[in-house]
Amino acid sequence: MEPLIGMGVLALIGVAATIAGASEDLESDVGSQSNPNSQVQLAPQMMFPHRIYNKAVSGEPPSNALMCSVGAAVATVLISEFTLSPLFALVIGALVAACVHGTFAVTSTMGRAASQRRFKQPVYLDMIRSHTPVIMGYAFITTFCILIVSYLMTVVLGHPFPLTMLAFIWGITVGAIGSSTGDVHYGAEREFQQFEFGSGLNASNSGNIVRYGESGVRNGYDNSWFCAKFGGPVTGIAFGMTVFLGSWVTTVFDPAVSLTRGWFSVVAGVIIVLILIIWNWKIEVKARNAFGPYKEDKTEEASA
Amino acid sequence: MSAGGSGGGANAAYPPQTIMAIGAVGGLAGIYLGHFLPPMFSFFGGLGAICAIVWGADAVRRVASYGLGTGVPSIGMIALGMGIVAALFGLSVGGIAGPIVSFVAAAIIGAVIGVLANKVIGMGIPIMEQAMVEIAGAGTLAIIGLSVVIAGEFTYGAVIENVVANGYIALIFIIGGMGILHPFNANLGPDEKQDRTLSVAVEKAAIALIITGFASSLHEGLMAAGLNIAVGLVIWTVAFMKYYGFVKRDAHSVVGTGLLPSAEELQ
Repeated sequence: MEPLIGMGVLALIGVAATIAGASEDLESDVGSQSNPNSQVQLAPQMMFPHRIYNKAVSGEPPSNALMCSVGAAVATVLISEFTLSPLFALVIGALVAACVHGTFAVTSTMGRAASQRRFKQPVYLDMIRSHTPVIMGYAFITTFCILIVSYLMTVVLGHPFPLTMLAFIWGITVGAIGSSTGDVHYGAEREFQQFEFGSGLNASNSGNIVRYGESGVRNGYDNSWFCAKFGGPVTGIAFGMTVFLGSWVTTVFDPAVSLTRGWFSVVAGVIIVLILIIWNWKIEVKARNAFGPYKEDKTEEASA
Repeated sequence: MSAGGSGGGANAAYPPQTIMAIGAVGGLAGIYLGHFLPPMFSFFGGLGAICAIVWGADAVRRVASYGLGTGVPSIGMIALGMGIVAALFGLSVGGIAGPIVSFVAAAIIGAVIGVLANKVIGMGIPIMEQAMVEIAGAGTLAIIGLSVVIAGEFTYGAVIENVVANGYIALIFIIGGMGILHPFNANLGPDEKQDRTLSVAVEKAAIALIITGFASSLHEGLMAAGLNIAVGLVIWTVAFMKYYGFVKRDAHSVVGTGLLPSAEELQ
């Protein structure tokens, strides 16, 4: 393959991965999946019933792996059995995957609310009706972008894995990165905004999540609005960089051309990892110097 | 344990032995029917997988009621992890007795992992060994059942060619695993009920039948795929309506809309 075409395809894969990462994080935030879910689950037990979607579909990696492999399986059948154009096949595959994910979301939020009967947590049908399509919409975007990444890798870049397997692996990866990068921005910060920033989560505040929004009762939309400002895009950049830099080294230094080039790709990969480690360390040191440890303010000191 | 129930054994309307019998006998019967009948009837494999997934979900429910909490997804993944190893081993050496050999192999793997979890890691869950055996067996039967749906038979060559080589094994792994782990995870809480949890298991297993049924069109033709999907859709609809009925029965209240309950209402 022409190196220039390879770079072009790689750029397209990077873009699709960036969108997938951003939508994956926002999808999990609308439903409070993964890490923030434990406090949403705990809240009614601490006498704080809420109108926040409780989408407890395992962790993000398995649920995204499910969406992506369902989408890929449907798409491959449509391509080979029904000779559909790949673009349509990927769209329909992503649509089916979003519907399947919708059933998982509905059963979990209803089930979790019903299992909190003794804490008087109601099942709000309007909340489920309004949030589930949003979750499915984000799930569609994520699945479609992951399918594009996997399809380009198999068909154009000649990856040896079949589409379904590759989509499964990328699904796990996007879920893992969404969980590790994105959740940070909808965990302690958003759910516990009423407590001083940086004070950590005191055990006595467990379950006391913010339940009222700027106007009315806070819901999953408010959380995705907040996360769309930083958490979602930063997840997208993290996942896009992972996919792009991971493939970039072997596209520039193609191991298929010669063994020496293969070793160059390994060296390039190690250099990239080293640069990122040093960069992260510099950022952390700078942030610690600038903001320092949490300081009690004067009123707290006086009362203590 | 904050979210995972009372920390003791789970209350159940259906005793474990009944569910175990449904899962093991129904699972194996479905797999063999799907294998011996013409490809048209490969949905029997899916029915077997539904029985197995219900059994697996019930076993997860029993072991996770000891306070696994966030460990529930992990136990579903380990079920299918053990299942894939046992299934491929059994099918490769067992010939026509393949599913039974797989099942026995799964029981042995499950027992070893259960003993490791309790004795070496020291989890100290009384029913851990038995539950791991059950979960491994259920995961194995789910994998073979769904493979029968796609391939129309369970001979090693057919499964390798039609399920493993084209990557659908990844789909079966995750959709079977989610079928086993999701029901209890979705209904986690102090007022969880067995029938509601198991209705989700049937519903999720029906989705697995629908998706693998669609994939079966590659080797069994459109008629067989259509029948698979139709059977799956009917089961899904019935199970989902049952589930919604159970939610309305069990929830404190199911309201169209409303504000949060006031402090007085919570007393």
